[in-house]
Amino acid sequence: MSTMNLNGVSRPENQSKNRVTHLSFVRSIMLIARREFRDALSSKWFLLYTIAFTTLAIGVSFLSLAGSGEHGFAGFGKTAAGLLNLIMLVVPLMALTAGAGTIAGERERGTLLYLLAQPLSRTELLLGKYVGLAIALICSLCIGFGLSAGLLAWRAGGVGAGSFLMLVVFASVLALSMLSLGVLISVQSRRAGVATGISLFVWLGLVFLSDLGLMAGTVLFKLRVQEVFALAIINPLQAFKMNVIINLNASLDVLGPVGMYASQEFGESLPWLLTGVIVLWCLLPLAVAIMIFRKRGGI
Amino acid sequence: MRTLTIAITLAFSIAVPHALGAPASEIQRLIDEATPGSVVEPTPGVYEGAIRITKPVILDGNGAVTIDAGGEGSVIEVTAPDVTIRGFILVGSGKSVSNESAGIKANNGPVIIEDNRITDVYFGIDLKQSPGSIIRNNTIVGKDLELGRRGDGIRLWWSHECVIEQNTVRDSRDMVFWYSEGLRISNNTVIDSRYGLHFMYSHNTTVRENHLTGNSVGIYLMYSNSIRLVQNQIDNNRGTSGYGIGLKDCDDIDVESNLLAANRVGIYIDNSPSSADSTGLIRSNKIAFNDVGMLATPNTHDNTIYNNGFIENEEQVSVHGGGQLFLNDFANNEKGNFWSDYNGFDRDQDGLGEFAYEPRSLFRTMLAREPNLRLFVHSPAQQAIELTARAFPELDPDPMLSDPKPLALPPRFDLPSLEAGAGGFHMALVAFGLVLFSALVMLRLTLERNNTPVTGNKRND
Repeated sequence: MSTMNLNGVSRPENQSKNRVTHLSFVRSIMLIARREFRDALSSKWFLLYTIAFTTLAIGVSFLSLAGSGEHGFAGFGKTAAGLLNLIMLVVPLMALTAGAGTIAGERERGTLLYLLAQPLSRTELLLGKYVGLAIALICSLCIGFGLSAGLLAWRAGGVGAGSFLMLVVFASVLALSMLSLGVLISVQSRRAGVATGISLFVWLGLVFLSDLGLMAGTVLFKLRVQEVFALAIINPLQAFKMNVIINLNASLDVLGPVGMYASQEFGESLPWLLTGVIVLWCLLPLAVAIMIFRKRGGI
Repeated sequence: MRTLTIAITLAFSIAVPHALGAPASEIQRLIDEATPGSVVEPTPGVYEGAIRITKPVILDGNGAVTIDAGGEGSVIEVTAPDVTIRGFILVGSGKSVSNESAGIKANNGPVIIEDNRITDVYFGIDLKQSPGSIIRNNTIVGKDLELGRRGDGIRLWWSHECVIEQNTVRDSRDMVFWYSEGLRISNNTVIDSRYGLHFMYSHNTTVRENHLTGNSVGIYLMYSNSIRLVQNQIDNNRGTSGYGIGLKDCDDIDVESNLLAANRVGIYIDNSPSSADSTGLIRSNKIAFNDVGMLATPNTHDNTIYNNGFIENEEQVSVHGGGQLFLNDFANNEKGNFWSDYNGFDRDQDGLGEFAYEPRSLFRTMLAREPNLRLFVHSPAQQAIELTARAFPELDPDPMLSDPKPLALPPRFDLPSLEAGAGGFHMALVAFGLVLFSALVMLRLTLERNNTPVTGNKRND
């Protein structure tokens, strides 16, 4: 097992026949993940995103704390609202572009064929890359959140530590779902530039266009609350936002009639419903990406 | 709760032992035998059954007498005037809607009801035609029913000139005043109920220094005129109505120096003042961290709103259904209000901004027209809409109000200061944990390991 043949005796398709000589499924994935993670750390995007996210998170925390020093109350929490907005803008951008670059980039540089020549299945390769990027992203988020939590602790903010930790968890899961989508874009694209372009367009769609479209629909077609709610939670960003608000407020009443409807209708199970939506967004695009990648491979 | 009450009562009754669950008829006999105006002090202990007081007596339980009606009818019913009920623990009224059973029911006051603890009751204290009564320092806890099915903690019906002070009410429906004028209502606390203080056709009253929190609505005035609300602390009232203060068809209301924080809506004004030549005053209140600071119906007029601090409300002012509030003054002769989102400046250092405060927000205007859009607050799409409106002035809506003399600094509030949320230590722990976690992961995954040739070789390519 330990003496792995680097020159790739067998093509990935034939692997299942002589599995004995190969690494276990999990170990192969971790091997690729480790490689991907190191590539990420040494790459510019990781550094850039980490610095940008950290700076923005600290900036938002600082600005929103400035106004609320003397008052014990924080309502929804200006800090939370600011961070929420920031996360919804930046985290999908980070995860989508990171995911979009991974396969398309290797394909463009020609290194993908080399990787595929290793005694690894395509599923293992793709999952390994996904896991490696996921760990890199979560590390990046943890640094940003950690430092802004340090600032909040120093200035004794209104948001509880528990809710803040949940915010980190929710943001990480959101990052995973967006990464999944990014990887799907990547396996489809031949060039890294195109993949990045498409991922930016998807980002625009998820962050702005879908919400604006739904707003217009709500006004034009006089949608009922249950329709607005159902359409809104399809967007993982909205599901994420609602989950964070439930975590902070125990209810969605800050979101007006639609939020109140959701709280009343689903009650305790609402967070699970929303988490389910986001998890689906993690699993489905990745599954489709694996299917496409198995068919398409290096080309 | 009830066993606890009984346990406490037992502890009290050790000094003067009394059989557990003596019949309430023992107290009834004492009352029946007492001469009018005399003091009746039952032996400490627990009594089971209900009491009926038909003559003016002073009934004093010294904090050690429990009367348990066992879930049937009212615990104490008073049909005589000049009765005092003091220091009792009253539990277990009936809960049928038609009987309106209560802890204490009186229909021929005045009565004095003080220092009682009334729990597991449908209505708490129910006074009808009992002017001049005093309800002081009682604790009332309602039955654990759904909000609409509960009874009122305290209800006055045609009872003028009553004093209601230092009572605590929780888990009940309303503290409600029907057709009762000239009341004095101060230092009461209402928690986790429907309407903290509810006025129906009750005029000329001052409401001072009450604390209303966690209710559906803090104070709701309906068809009640000349009421002063002073220095009340009203927070976290977030029910389906969710108003800190609601004013419905009320004339000559004066809302002064209240703290309105973290409610869904700070002040809701519905057609108040409603008659011609009457006015409304809203001044020196701290209206902070509500979802909407002030919500008004479009026909609202003749209110003077000044020296308030509108601080970090999600939405400072909103007009229900869209429209404008130009028939109200957002400043008296000298000063307007403090607006935490005011963008102007105070060049001549006179404490007033140099430009009028005229909030325009395309998204808010859309919200007023289509409330369902509130789903999209706290999202980048909302910011996008505001940005668009600023970039294309023709999209910018008309301002919904104009404060010609906005204050440069928030006014000083004579309010009890509130403790800031602690938790700095836990937050520091979270901060440390997160950074440590990512550092460990990075170290673990990047340290070179010689027995993993794939990674080693690939990196050198």
